[in-house]
Amino acid sequence: MLQYTLRRVLIAIPSILGVMIIVFAMVRLAPGDPAQLLAGEFADAETIELIRERFGLNDSMPRQFTRFVTGVFQGDLGESTRTKRLVTSDLATFFPNTLELALGAIVVALVFGIPAGILASLRPNSPIDLAVMLGALIGVSMPVFWFGLLAILIFSVQLGWFPVAGRGTLRHLVLPALTLGLSSMAIIARMTRSSMLEVLNQDFVRTARAKGLFWRAIVLKHALRNALVPVVTVIGLQFGALLAGAVITETVFTWPGIGSLLVVSILARDYPVVQGAVLLIAVSFIAVNLIVDLVYGFIDPRIRYD
Amino acid sequence: MFRGSLRTLSLLLITGVLSWSFAQGTLIIAQGTDPTNLDPSLSTDSPSATVSSHIFETLFELTPEGTIEPWLASGYTVSADGLTWTFDIRQGVTFHDGTPLTANEVKASLDRFIDPDNAYTFRFLLTRISEVNVLDTYTVEVKLASQFAPLLAHLTHSSTAIVMTGLDLDETPVGTGPFEFVSWERGQRVDLKRYEGYWAEKPGIEGLRFLAVPESTTRMALVETGEAHVSVRVPPQDIARLNANPNVTVENVSSVRTIYIYFNNTMEPMNDPRVRQAINYAVNKEDIAEFVLGGAVRVSDAPVSPGVFGYTPVGNYDYDPERARALLAEAGYPDGFSTTLYSPNGRYLQDIQISEAIQSQLAEVGIDATIETLEWAAYLAKTNVPAEENEVPLAMLGWGTVTGDADYGLFALFHTSQHVPDGSNRSFYSNSVVDALLDEARSNPDPAVREQLYADAMQIIWDEAAWLFLHSETQLVAVRDNVEGLVIHPTERYLAHKVSLR
Repeated sequence: MLQYTLRRVLIAIPSILGVMIIVFAMVRLAPGDPAQLLAGEFADAETIELIRERFGLNDSMPRQFTRFVTGVFQGDLGESTRTKRLVTSDLATFFPNTLELALGAIVVALVFGIPAGILASLRPNSPIDLAVMLGALIGVSMPVFWFGLLAILIFSVQLGWFPVAGRGTLRHLVLPALTLGLSSMAIIARMTRSSMLEVLNQDFVRTARAKGLFWRAIVLKHALRNALVPVVTVIGLQFGALLAGAVITETVFTWPGIGSLLVVSILARDYPVVQGAVLLIAVSFIAVNLIVDLVYGFIDPRIRYD
Repeated sequence: MFRGSLRTLSLLLITGVLSWSFAQGTLIIAQGTDPTNLDPSLSTDSPSATVSSHIFETLFELTPEGTIEPWLASGYTVSADGLTWTFDIRQGVTFHDGTPLTANEVKASLDRFIDPDNAYTFRFLLTRISEVNVLDTYTVEVKLASQFAPLLAHLTHSSTAIVMTGLDLDETPVGTGPFEFVSWERGQRVDLKRYEGYWAEKPGIEGLRFLAVPESTTRMALVETGEAHVSVRVPPQDIARLNANPNVTVENVSSVRTIYIYFNNTMEPMNDPRVRQAINYAVNKEDIAEFVLGGAVRVSDAPVSPGVFGYTPVGNYDYDPERARALLAEAGYPDGFSTTLYSPNGRYLQDIQISEAIQSQLAEVGIDATIETLEWAAYLAKTNVPAEENEVPLAMLGWGTVTGDADYGLFALFHTSQHVPDGSNRSFYSNSVVDALLDEARSNPDPAVREQLYADAMQIIWDEAAWLFLHSETQLVAVRDNVEGLVIHPTERYLAHKVSLR
């Protein structure tokens, strides 16, 4: 198991290097000059030149890339051209907030998604099943910004139950986590339902019923555990997506996360921050996937790592 | 154990309620973005300038009425040749850390600003300064390399503020302003409190909080629910709804930002003044102001906006499609022509909608304009290209004359020496008479003479139709009715120095 983990970490290194090359090239291929953006629409050539020099933008591409890579290994991601702060300091400020929001969203998705999926699977094509599937369809198709703004209008402006925006307490987390978690909730509910349906039709379930076990015990102990492996995969993928894809939710609720930082930085062509943020998201995504793979073993002891 | 965690939870909930309603006596302003940096010289955006204007002060102050008043400098004299300026530094001023303000701090601050190694964006405001000398504790002498009349106006710009040097001002912003720094939760809020040692009249509120709320619907909801006292940048379509709220009023204050569409004066057919005039006649600016912008702008009658020193109304191109057609025919385009109108999307108030309205009005006189929208960074890159490679015939831009002096709004945009990429003259407008007038207005120390020079220059620019002149933006700010004394400054800053809460 330890050996497996180590091997996975080693395999991750080329992926991360690939991400670094791609993000480095992509931000520079996009038209626009950070120095010009910083200086504004009416800066003179001298000011722009001074800024280019100050942030090393005049150096050759290989030299800039080498600086980026060596910096990463020294834990130094450079200085933001927009805020003039160390990128590591900005990431350290914003990433935990995104993590908090993504955790909140995944909790929402699990707490509602898995029970709904189980319920639907027990009576396929019943009104309950139809209601759950319809809910899931709506949850998956509803645009996040629309749902978020609607939630603010109803629960904050009209009813006054939750604060409109900002981060701070649990109350602040409720609406953004619900908004962000909605589509994951729907996907997890559907996945749980279909996986459960498959398992419930298998021989061992029939045997268990024939043995006279309680239905509740069969569903929750025997069937659910077997149905969970694909669900966990989806949860892992969803969590990774939540980390990277919270941009809109963060903007609507003024949640100071890495997504909103990334958007602002892309618009400002703030190369060091874009590079750093994308790298961090990629590393987290890889880490989440690794954790998911390791969790399989606990759920289904038949899965062996060697 | 369960009960314990329940108690913690309810405590959390209660603090949650308190954290946004905050103690009495704190004004909460919801801005569109977080400041980029609290060092006044390192940021270029209005939200940063708004925050730093409460912590730091400049040598001179531009009043909302457009006059320049002594501030940290209590007075000044100019040598006969206009090259040596002597500033008296106000006595009894202290920084937030207790250090008294003297000539040494002023020199250090100005030296820092013009140091090329620091590469500050607004360094060009003061590059004429060749040296700064301390004459005595409260006197500073500034020597200029050449005569520069707009010096005082440039010293009102928030980026030239006097700071405590040698500190990381982003972490510890120490200035002399009426509020001192408390904390900054990045991406969320900046908290300031009243500085009890302030030299002038102390603010009427104990604290000041700036929230960063990019989504305008959310920002408006904050002022509607009372979670913020002030929300800036009200979308025009929300004005009526907000005004219907008995506790909220939408203030409408003019800005020094002028919106225009420039012509590439070197590219056919825009190099013909008759074509440029025709386009000015073909576009109904009043209709755009009323129907596209909800009346929230002021139609331009000069290349700079009212409130700027040197502004004089120099004319108007009243909507007259007949005349536009006649001028086009005279210029050899009786059937019009095809062209491309470059437009930003989301940079200025209703920018793309304005471009679409212009497109349909141009079609009526036979000009077939295709709208090309680019993301802002790409837009800047596309328009900042020398004349011989430039492909942009028409493009929308806005320019805020934030020093309050017409030099800032005219020299960089119309002087021949300022053609891009060296300067900011993207229209490649060139007229030797205008050049001479702008040069003279830059160096002549007499304000009355300068005003006349600017009037003459603007008249020529207007008559030659260097741009399609559109409008000055106004700032739409939603303010709760218990707020008194908020200054919405034409330089797009919101000042709480004199605010009191009822």
